[in-house]
Formats: sequence, structure tokens, C-alpha cells
Amino acid sequence: MSALRPSTLLWLAVISAVGYGMFQVKYRVMQLEDQLARVNRSIDADRDDLRVLGAEWSYLNQPQRLDQLRQRYLTLVPIQRAQQGTLDQIPFRPGEQGIAPQAVPPRPSAPPVALPGGASLASAARGGNR
Amino acid sequence: MKADFDPRENPCRPRHFKPAPCGPLPAEGPAKQSLETSRTRLVLLGALFCLAFAAIGVRLVDVTVLKDPGSKIARAHVRPHVEHARADILDRNGVKLATTLETPSLFANPKLVQGAPEAAAKLAAVLPGLNRAELEAALSNKERSFVWIKRNLTPEQQFEINRLGIPGLFFQTEQRRVYPQGRLTAHVVGFAGVDNNGLQGVERGLDDELKTSDDPVTLSIDLRLQYILKEEMARQIEAFSAKGGMGLIADVDTGEILAMVSLPDFDPNDRAEVDSDATFNRATLGTYEMGSVFKIFNTAMALDSSVTTLAGGYDASHPLKVGRFTIHDDHAKNRWLTVPEIFIYSSNIGSARMAVDAGIDRQRDFLGRLGLLRTPSLELSEVGEPHYPREWRLVNTMTIAFGHGMSVSPLQMVTAVSAVVNGGILHRATLLRHPDGYRPEGVRAMSQRTSEDMRRLLRLVVEKGTGKFAAAPGYLVGGKTGTAEKVDGRGYARKELLSSFIGAFPMNQPRYVIMISIDEPHPNARSAGEATGGWVAAPAVSRIVQRMAPIVGIPAVDEDSPEIRRALLVESAETPGRKFAAN
Repeated sequence: MSALRPSTLLWLAVISAVGYGMFQVKYRVMQLEDQLARVNRSIDADRDDLRVLGAEWSYLNQPQRLDQLRQRYLTLVPIQRAQQGTLDQIPFRPGEQGIAPQAVPPRPSAPPVALPGGASLASAARGGNR
Repeated sequence: MKADFDPRENPCRPRHFKPAPCGPLPAEGPAKQSLETSRTRLVLLGALFCLAFAAIGVRLVDVTVLKDPGSKIARAHVRPHVEHARADILDRNGVKLATTLETPSLFANPKLVQGAPEAAAKLAAVLPGLNRAELEAALSNKERSFVWIKRNLTPEQQFEINRLGIPGLFFQTEQRRVYPQGRLTAHVVGFAGVDNNGLQGVERGLDDELKTSDDPVTLSIDLRLQYILKEEMARQIEAFSAKGGMGLIADVDTGEILAMVSLPDFDPNDRAEVDSDATFNRATLGTYEMGSVFKIFNTAMALDSSVTTLAGGYDASHPLKVGRFTIHDDHAKNRWLTVPEIFIYSSNIGSARMAVDAGIDRQRDFLGRLGLLRTPSLELSEVGEPHYPREWRLVNTMTIAFGHGMSVSPLQMVTAVSAVVNGGILHRATLLRHPDGYRPEGVRAMSQRTSEDMRRLLRLVVEKGTGKFAAAPGYLVGGKTGTAEKVDGRGYARKELLSSFIGAFPMNQPRYVIMISIDEPHPNARSAGEATGGWVAAPAVSRIVQRMAPIVGIPAVDEDSPEIRRALLVESAETPGRKFAAN
């Protein structure tokens, strides 16, 4: 009995290589499909979580609740008229713009304001407007 | 051939030796013919197989090499996006007013539940509001295999129940419409039923859009202003032991409704014990005889049709008799009054004379141009139809001049007053947010000049007339008070009032219109026996303006500055030789 012919050997090798390759691809695809399904499930779950958290965020931000919390913990009140002013009511620093500080006295209608709790005018104004 | 022992064969023959299978092929006869047939069949079969393999081969090349695999394969694996049954509703700053959540509902299969008393005790501890005895009875009923225990649980409750580890309990996911802002936007947003159909408010008015679209609907409502409006209204209702009230805040240049409140209200999340009075939207569905606030339109009509000017005047020294009616003044001055005086002291006699001067047709035409004679359109299903006399006689003209004999909804009032103060352009009211900077076109209802005159007159009412309590330092509030006696069966009930204030600010360039009506207020200890619009509604408007101005970014100004004085000056406000009694 003679040895296997070289061509038969070649084809056997090719067949095993292709078979191996095919199973590799197949397992990889199965793995990816599992992964995809997992990711899709987690996207769905996250999306639902987002909706719940969004609803909760809105619920916790009810103006009435914020107002109660404000009364309990903060000394902030709506911006009063005396806390508002315009830029030209602020005098230049001495020496700047060549204008002496006495030249631009602050308008009597907007006296400097001390806010309750020692907050500065700037920080009170920042929170107000959205 | 079997390798069994055969005595006829040579026992020494190698076992794998096989004799020739058959003899030589027959050359002739039926045997040869059948062989030929077989061969033909074989060739045919072989050809068929070849063809089949060739087809498969061609297809293989086609699929793997020639065809672009493209997105088809990838898409096949992506799960279709889970559609939510109903789109969200947001306020103009993106705060959720209505959303759909998937909530777990708990049910039990009593056949699988072991130890019903113990299970019931555990469940009742986790889910307050469940009756332990009823629960035990339900869980012990082995006849049934399905019992709802509680619908729409919170995620925390679901977690707690899972932790109890009771066998026979199951969750089912259900969709539920949730209104995180609850009562605050109850009448605007409305609610949807269990079958996902909108039943009231925007939920009903925009039902189709909410069902089909996945994008949220953004309303023109500003939740912060809504809260301020509701709180200040509730305060007045309590202070004057009133039955209810309605209020609106609108942008005069776009027609957007920024806040809309109707009290009493209801919780859209819990509608079990809601009566029809609470769900009734007084701001849009209710129509009322508005009283003296109608003098805004009457005066604007007289000025716009050049029947009179700010320098003109009418005799208000005696009550006016028309048939069996007599028209009196509530703040009687008993003298000749200028047009600004008629307005700021709210003289019924003067207004009626002014309307008669203008005539029936002019009045009807002007009110029509302000949209007061037709049902307004809004993104709600609850929109009331105005009531006015079919046969418009002189007596109707006289009473409509001061707001009786014709009823409109607060929504119509706000829309019409916006047109009076914004330069004369009527805009359709809307609950949907316009894109930033968008200015809808609108229809001209009166001249720019009339509108500017009306701004001055409205400002004067707050400075010197019946609306002094509406003043908010620095914000130039202007407006008109109104106190209507409600129709009670046959006649007017003197004690049942609808007290209103409708105003705008800042009056040198109005941006917002605010209207408040309080239903059946009663005088209290501090109101000097009064329950009129000037006492009940005006103070609330003052507080609302002071609270909302910093939010909407309107700076306080110096009211006594020369520019503003000049812009709002009414030269002929005072009767020559007389001083204002109100000063």
C-alpha cells in the first residue's frame, strides 16, 4: 500500500484549516452576539433608569419643595430692588481713566447693600437668573 | 462474499483475496440494454449534481465576494428600540411635567404561596397602605392562581419585596403616566387615562402628537412663574375666604402663556377623589362677566375710533337711567370727568356715555378685532365660548362698556389686553414654547398711538387710581381693577363678587401681562370692609411682579427719572382747577 498522495495531504490540510477557521469565526460571532444582547439589555435598563431618575429629579425640584428647603436652610430671599444697579453706578478706581474718584459719586438711589448672612451682592445675583 | 470456511476453496488462500466480481460483460441481449440505460441515468444524475454544485458555487462567490455585506447583517442583531407609549411634556426650561415610567406591579399566585399569614405580615410591613387581614385572605385563597397585590410600585419597594424572598410573588412591568409636578400644573398638563388616552389639558389637546411622536413636547409654561402665581393666589384666596380663583401670565409679544392657574386644583397622580369643581379650568373654560376691567377695551375703542381723546371728558354727575336700569358709580365723584379720570376712578356712567358716543357697531367691531367674540384656539380641549347678546341694543352697549352683559374667559382677557399694551397687535395665545427670538406675526387690532395712550392710562390707575395696591417699586406696573357682581339666577348678587386685576409691566415697554381673578372673596379685618379687585387681586399682582422680575431679567428702574416720567405722562389727567382726591 503506497503512502497518501501529496494532493490528498494538501486537501486534508486545507480542510482542517478551513474547518478550524470556520469554528473560530462561529464561536467569535456567538460571543459577539451574546455581548450585543447584553449591551442592548443594559441600554434598555439604563434608558428606563434615566426616565425614573428624570422623573425623580423633577419631583425633587418642585418649586414648593425648594422654597421650603430655602426657608429652612438658607437666608436667601428674592433679589430686592436695592440690590440691583447698573455698571455706570460703580465709580472708577482712583487714578483709572483719568477720572478722580470724587468725580463720579454713587447715585443716592442705590446705596451699598449688606445682604443677610454676609453674602456678597455678586453671589446673590448669580443664582437668580437662568 | 463472506470469509467463512468453505471446503471447496483453497484453505491457504489469503483471506483478503477476492475473486473477480463477475464474468465478462455481456455483448448482446437484454442485459446489455439494461446496462446502457443505467449508464445514461448515471450520466444524467451526474450532470444534475454538477449543475447544482455550480449553482451553489456561483451563489457562494456572489454572497461572499461580490456582494457588500453592508449594514444588513449588523442591523439584524440590534434589537428594535422600545417605543414608549407617550411622549414627555416639559416646561420651557426643560423640567418634566409629565413622563411615562415602566413600573413593576406585584401579583401573587396563591397556589404557590406557602404560609399565607407570615407572607401577609411581611408584605404589609413593606407596603404600607395594604390591609394585612385582606391580604392574608387573598393569599390563602387556593382556588385562584392570580391576585393583584399592588400596582405601580417604586423601585425601592420592588427591591424590598425581592429581599423578603416570598415564593409565589411575581412582578409584571406596566406603563404608568407620572406627573412629577403634581398639582402645580394640574390644569395645564391635565391627565391621561389608564388606556393611554389624554382626558384633559394638554394631554388631551395634543393627544395625537404625544402618542405618535417620540420627542417631548415643550410648553411655554415657566414652572417658576407658575409657582409664584399659584402661591400668591392661594394666599389671597385664604385671606379673603374665597371660593377659588384663576390667574394667567402671558408674554405680550408672542402670545405664549407662561403661567396658568385655576384654583381649587387637583392631584393628577391621584384622581380617586377629584370632583368636577376641581378639574374645571376656570382660566380657559370658565367665562365670566369681568366687570370694570372691560373699561380697558371701552376706552381703547373710544380713543382708537377718535370718538374722544385723552383731553376729552363726559358728565358723570348723575346716575344714568336707561329704561328700567340705572347705572351708578362705585367710586362716585358726581361731576364732569376727563377720559383719564373716568378710567382711573372706574366710572360706569362715564364709560357708558363714551360707549354710546362711539355707537353699537364700533363697539362690536372693536371687541371682535380683539378676539372677544369668538372662541379662542389653544392647545387644550377646555376652551370656553364667549357669551354676548345676539341682539346688540343700546342698553347692551352701555353695560358692556363696564363689563356686564357679556362674558369671556380669562384667557381671552389676557390675549386682548396683550394687544392693547404691546402696540396694538393681537397674537394667538399658545401653550407651546416658541423658539428663542421668534416673533409671530399677529393681526393689528388698533393703532400704535392708541396702545401708547392706553399704557399711560393703565399706569395712571396704579399710580393714582383704584389699582394702587398693585404698585411694585421700580417695575412700572400698570393695570385695571375690576369687581363684577356674579349673576345669581335672575339678577346680580351684591355679595358674590369676582374681583380681578389685569395688569402689565414694565409700562414703558410692556413685556408681560398678569391677570388674577378671585372668586367670591369676603371682606376681612384688614381690607376696610372691601373685597374689590383693588383690595383682593391688586396686592397679589404687586408681589408677583416683584418676585418674577428678577427671574425674567427685568431690571428695576428709577420711576422718577425724567425719561420715564415723559414716556408715561398724561398731560390732561386732571380736570382743570381740581386736585385728585386720591392724592
